Amino acid sequence: MTNTELPDGTKIHWAPVPPRPKTSKLLVFGELLVSFGILVGLFAVYEVFIQDEVVAAAQTNLAKEYGQTAEKQKFVNPDKAKNLGDIFGRMYVPRFGSEWTRLVAEGTRWHPVLNEIGIGHYDNSALPGEVGNFAVAAHRGGFGGAFKNIHRLVEGDRVYLETNGYWYVYKYLQTKIVEPEDISVIDPVPAELDGSHVGGKYLTMTSCTPIFVNTQRIIVWLELEKKISTSKGAPAELGIGN
Amino acid sequence: MYSWLWRVLPGKRLGKVLQLVLLSALVLAGLYFFVFPWMDSLLYSEPTQGL
Repeated sequence: MTNTELPDGTKIHWAPVPPRPKTSKLLVFGELLVSFGILVGLFAVYEVFIQDEVVAAAQTNLAKEYGQTAEKQKFVNPDKAKNLGDIFGRMYVPRFGSEWTRLVAEGTRWHPVLNEIGIGHYDNSALPGEVGNFAVAAHRGGFGGAFKNIHRLVEGDRVYLETNGYWYVYKYLQTKIVEPEDISVIDPVPAELDGSHVGGKYLTMTSCTPIFVNTQRIIVWLELEKKISTSKGAPAELGIGN
Repeated sequence: MYSWLWRVLPGKRLGKVLQLVLLSALVLAGLYFFVFPWMDSLLYSEPTQGL
């Protein structure tokens, strides 16, 4: 109906109702762009907070419960840990927090070592407590970021490694940022470590830096301070009993 | 796209809002449990040389 005549003779002309405007391609494109932006934002949140925290909690629980729940979950002796993923120790770093602990396994492949277990031992480096360089790697950010706070280690800090039979206590020496190709940092006697000498018993912790950029590597060197039989219990300063 | 979604959802305003919240939660769950972990696996490549 486009015309109406009122009783007094007045004629009203109704304008036709315009059809619903068709959604323009430009509008859909704009909405898709906004949706993509939201998706990228959600993925960033997932990467930085959720995935990292979920994996960190899983690795911490695995480390805390390892050896406590099942008979088969026993540390492999370090000298028998030849296969990728063989778990031979548990590390404690009070500087990373009183609740921080991670398992140490053979090999530095992301799967199954760094992504799932936490810390990996460079397979050609020395064993814990041996003369030379016991070198380990872990993620800095993402996949639990076991060494997220590696840059906080300072003079006076200690790193504790529990194995089948012994506790190894390493004291902090030095931190350095190097290029990924600079593998000499895990040499038995690292030339870039001030005062390094033949016969030294070193622990080298390696991780990526800057965090989430990963173009360089952060290296922390420590030296064996003491070796204690596990029969004497955990070092008192850790406050974990055992 | 979004206006189309608003039109096709049944019910009045409150009902539509609730349905949208539910739909968003489902989409988020799908993203966080399936899509993002898959994207994550594509994003990083393990270094084969150096440290």
